[in-house]
This record gives sequence, structure tokens and C-alpha cells, in this order.
Amino acid sequence: MKAPRPYALLAEITYKCPLHCPYCSNPVAASLCEASHRPRDGGYRNGELATEEWKRIIREAAALGVLQIGFSGGEPLDRRDLVELIREAREAKLYTNLITSGIGLGDDRVRALRDAGLDSIQLSFQSDESILADEIAGARAHEHKLNVAAKIRAAGIPLSLNFVIHRRNIDRLPQMIALTEALGAERVELANVQFYGWAFRNRAALLPSREQVDRARGIATAAKARLAAKIEIFYVLPDYYETRPKPCLHGWGQRYLTVNPIGDVLPCPTALSAIPDLRFENVRARDLNWIWGESESFNRFRGTEWMPEPCRSCPQKEIDFGGCRCQAALLAGRAASTDPVCELSPNRASVDALLRNLNSSGGQTRDWNYRLNPGTRPVIFGAY
Amino acid sequence: MRATPIPDLVRPSLAKGVRLQIDSATGNSVLLYPEGIVELNETAHEILSRCDGRTVGEIVCELAEVYEADPAALTADVSDTLSDLQRRKLIELK
Repeated sequence: MKAPRPYALLAEITYKCPLHCPYCSNPVAASLCEASHRPRDGGYRNGELATEEWKRIIREAAALGVLQIGFSGGEPLDRRDLVELIREAREAKLYTNLITSGIGLGDDRVRALRDAGLDSIQLSFQSDESILADEIAGARAHEHKLNVAAKIRAAGIPLSLNFVIHRRNIDRLPQMIALTEALGAERVELANVQFYGWAFRNRAALLPSREQVDRARGIATAAKARLAAKIEIFYVLPDYYETRPKPCLHGWGQRYLTVNPIGDVLPCPTALSAIPDLRFENVRARDLNWIWGESESFNRFRGTEWMPEPCRSCPQKEIDFGGCRCQAALLAGRAASTDPVCELSPNRASVDALLRNLNSSGGQTRDWNYRLNPGTRPVIFGAY
Repeated sequence: MRATPIPDLVRPSLAKGVRLQIDSATGNSVLLYPEGIVELNETAHEILSRCDGRTVGEIVCELAEVYEADPAALTADVSDTLSDLQRRKLIELK
């Protein structure tokens, strides 16, 4: 099918991050983060794209029709050229979002980001108070984040709080919403963890129980009604507990594209690790226009032609697009199958078995593996 | 059901973090906000491009002149559009 125009680019400018959240969607395999494409020279570091390469990507994305850019990672503040890249994006008339842990954001940098034209900041929080939040982050971060939120407010940059919700913090939803109010954010994402990357590896520790999920849904719905005039609450459902899949990306290669730190262009940020048999193109070899429109990776699941049954004859196929390709690959072993979360999928039983197993285990706490930076050794919490 | 008309003296403005822009791919107006894009129809574009400190009353009068339309009929359209955008937190009414 003919490629539609994309609307949004996720620019993952580095995989380096000062936090070690066990639900990180970055690839677990360090080999994926490091680069078979490592340049002999001219790169930024560890094979990361250079400033000029990112600027070219930004201009090519705008020419393709992209209207929004999210700077993410890893921790995007870890790159010294962030302000320069934001300025470039604003010159290309893109709406600029910074998705950040806030670590490394002082007064001067906040002002520099604002002056570069940054439109909005999404600040991650791991919970509402520091003991649990820092345990989840694997770093002492929470108190710092509270200060950063105040700096962002003072600079007048629109603020969203992003909470990833999982078994260990889901019971604190009311407190998270109260923190959002207290910090004066305009928007909050309460996103139940989606199982890719590190989160997939840590599923047993992160999956909430059915009882927790039911309670959280009620709390989110009530808060939405109560705060309707004040805060935008965006609640992301825990899809393993749903009966129909999420309309992932609004369809493969329809609206979104991601460029990772080493220049791979991905229909979805998790596709690189979840779908190993798909070859992704790199901006060092091809321009964005060709990759978006012509490449095998963007066309493989574009539209509805690729769909197997039960999707092919499903009246919902233009509504949920068969769900998530990465999830199909991770749970059913084949990206071109129906998302196993769907009750009509022949693989739904495997999701049910997982939920049954977890829900009968009495809610005990299980260990997780902290997310590591590429090329580093495990972090022992509390050691620094 | 139509919303209660917005008083003439109210001054609508874009909400914090919301940008009005021409989409160069289509030539149409869009509102951009965190993780979201709304494509505007002509009515919404005509109204929003005047939300720069003017009152609802002034906006209605101008549109009545441009479109040679009856201000009374336009009032309801303008109110509906603004109320809808306010509900979606894309504009503020002050």
C-alpha cells in the first residue's frame, strides 16, 4: 500500500541513563544498543549519531510531514547537544516534547531549553514518595525530581508527569494523582507497564494482580471525573488483562517512526529487540523518506494485507489493527500473528496461564533485574 | 443539545502547551499539544486564529462580517466550537 504521511518522530538520542528502572523498554541485549554500525570516526560516542546527523533527520522528518518530535532515550539530557537539537526541531516547526527523568536538569539548562522553544516536558516519576520511588529507579532520584518539577514550573514550560504503573506501585495511584495536583502539572500519564525490553524480562515481578488492576481502574476513572477541569489524566490499560488488543501505533508504519541512538529507523521503539528476523534500515545508509515509504521493515505490516485469521475477517481490524506486532513476536513467536492478548487469538491461553499463575501466587514480591546501561556492570542499589 | 452560550466578554486563548500551526503537508490548520494533534475544520480555524485577546463578542462580529452571516446564528456555532475545545483542554476561557 502507499505510505501515509507520518505525524510523530520519537528521537531516542542515547541509551545512557542514570536510572535503572526494571520496566525500561530499551533493548536488554547490549549488542543491540551498541552498534554494528559504529562509525570509524565522526560519531558522537559509542556509535551514537552525531549532532549533524540528528539535525538532518529532523529536517527530513519535517519534510515527510512529521509535526511532533519526542526527545527520549535513555536519558536525553545526557547529550550536551540537546538544546541545539531542540532549536533545530523548532526551526523545522515541530512540536517538541522532552521525555526525561529530570536528572541533570539545573536552572540554567531549564531556561536554555525554554529559550530554545521546547514546547513541553514529560517528567518521569517512579512513585509518589522517595523510598519506593528510589528502589524502583535503582537510584536516589525522587527528591531531585521534585525540585526539577518546581524549576520547570518556574520556567513556565508545560509539564506532564509520567508514571509507569506496575505491581509494586499500582496501589499508590491516589497518591500519584495527589502529587500531580501538588506539583501543578497540566497532565499526567498513568501508564500500566507494557511488556517489552526489560519489562518483558521482569514480567513476573511487574505484573499486577487482577484485584489491583480492577481497583486502579476505578480510581483512575473517578479521578478523571473529579479533575476534568484541571488535569488531563491519560490512563494506559494493562493489556494482558484486556480482552481485545490495543490499537498499537495506530497501525504499523501509519503515523509514527522512531530513530534509535545508533540511527536504526524503527516503526516502533521496541521492534528492534522484539522482532529479530526483520531487518531495519539505518539513517547512515538511506534517507528517511525512502525508509518510511519503501523499506521492507515499514511495509511488512502496513495496512491489513499481512493479517492472518482471525484478524483478516474481523470487523475490528481497522480499529485495533491486529494489536501489537512486537507482542505477537514475544508471546507467540511470530510477529505476523494476532496479538495474543486478543480473546480471539489461538494463543490467548498462554496469556491466561500467565495471569492464572500470578494471581494464584498470593501477591508475593518477586525480585527484578535492574536495567543496565550498555557496557556496564550490574548496579547494586544503595552502593552510591 | 447545544451548550450554554459563552458570554460575549469572555476572552478565549489557547491553553498552555497548545500551538496553532499550518500543516505544510495539507495546508490546513492543526492544533499541536503534548502527544496530540487535532486537524481543524475551516470554522474552527477561523475562530482559533482570532483567539489572541479578542472577546467572543468581537470574534462573532468579525466572522459575521467576513461570512455575511447573521451574528445570532454564528454565536451558537462559535459557542459550540469553543466549548468543545475547552472540554478537551485545548483552550481556556477567561
